[in-house]
Amino acid sequence: MTTPKRILLATGAAVFIAVAIGSLAVAQQVITKPPTAADWAAMAKLPDFNGVWERGGGGAPRGGATPAANAGGQAARGAGAAAAPRGGAAAAGGAPQAGAAPARGAGGAGRGAGGRGGGLQLTPEYEAKRAAYKAPEDNETANCLPPGMPGIMGQPYPMEFLLTPGKVTIIIEAYTQVRHIYTDGRKLPADPDPHYFGNSVGHWEGDTLVVETVGFGPNTNIAPGVGHSDKMKIVERFRLVDPDNMSIETTITDPVVLLAPTTSTSNLRRHREWTITEYICEENNRNSVNDGKAKINVAIPSPNSTR
Amino acid sequence: MKINITSALRSGIAVMCLVAAAVAPLAAHHSFAAFNMTDEKTVVGTVKQVEWTNPHIWIWIDVPNDKGGKDAFGFEGMSPNYLERRGWSRTTLKIGDKITVTYHPLREGNTGGMFMSGKMETGKILTGGGSNN
Repeated sequence: MTTPKRILLATGAAVFIAVAIGSLAVAQQVITKPPTAADWAAMAKLPDFNGVWERGGGGAPRGGATPAANAGGQAARGAGAAAAPRGGAAAAGGAPQAGAAPARGAGGAGRGAGGRGGGLQLTPEYEAKRAAYKAPEDNETANCLPPGMPGIMGQPYPMEFLLTPGKVTIIIEAYTQVRHIYTDGRKLPADPDPHYFGNSVGHWEGDTLVVETVGFGPNTNIAPGVGHSDKMKIVERFRLVDPDNMSIETTITDPVVLLAPTTSTSNLRRHREWTITEYICEENNRNSVNDGKAKINVAIPSPNSTR
Repeated sequence: MKINITSALRSGIAVMCLVAAAVAPLAAHHSFAAFNMTDEKTVVGTVKQVEWTNPHIWIWIDVPNDKGGKDAFGFEGMSPNYLERRGWSRTTLKIGDKITVTYHPLREGNTGGMFMSGKMETGKILTGGGSNN
């Protein structure tokens, strides 16, 4: 073999290897490392997030003072996500729910929250879309599809945080949903598949868990009538404000939709007396929506029904 | 029997949205479209059937009518997981129990609606229904 041929071959091999590495990078294959004893030991130094939490002060009165952190409930600030106090919140011991977690789409369960995204500073394109938006009678949550992010974080049911080496898992009772937040140092995917919960990574800044999420499915939205682009990014900052109260500061950026990032704060309260239970929405769903039209099935069950 | 509530929405969608805004966060899955959330009614009857199921419980009661018979009223409540944390259980209501129910009526002519609160013969008050109670 002549020298030029060798050089050519070597160059070819190098190119092949580079392409192969490049392909790996595109696929963004991530190997989840087995945790070591040291990894488990390190868990003990993290803030105590484990357990069952619910937004605001919801749930049975627990006696005694409601922590101030919950009394205020949600406070929208910055450019958007106007909080919409829910009726009778005090009676339910609950906090107002904010637009930070509007339920999804099309006029849905989160159709409170600033009306049709009121308070959000939208780009002209999305302002026009919002103006033209006609709320359907109901949204797909009536058909038991979950709201996805950010709406799923505003549901009236609890969620459980599990901290394990390299990962924070949030088990959300509503719709039996799970968020997977990788804290093992992996990067956000460059070209994520669109998911209801997006794709999340997290890291700790002192006692604050900072979660970045990208890659949201088309059925999630910022507010009713306000969709999102593939540029939407949600950053959540979770921290304990006292032993059983957690603050979540949520910032949504989307340069295609929002003129400015919108930030809001919500609170979770830990319920050590609770465990997560089952919520299979499809079990006996008598509500439905089809092409924006809502229906309800009020048929009385047979006396022999096993329900 | 399936009820299409389309026509009922034509007149009251703005009002409904306003009300839904106030209560929507309590409803994970809930559709408010079928109910007149600004109206409130009360009936007394005896428990006929209970569906202790997600995403909503349903309670049917027999209510005496003025013809000497009885009408079945159906009520949609919150979900078992929610209610069990607020004093209910799947055996709270038994067939034959007498109960007074306050509710947001169905928009379309049916007897029943969204459960707001109930009072048992024992005096026990049941709250945390489908609406924010």
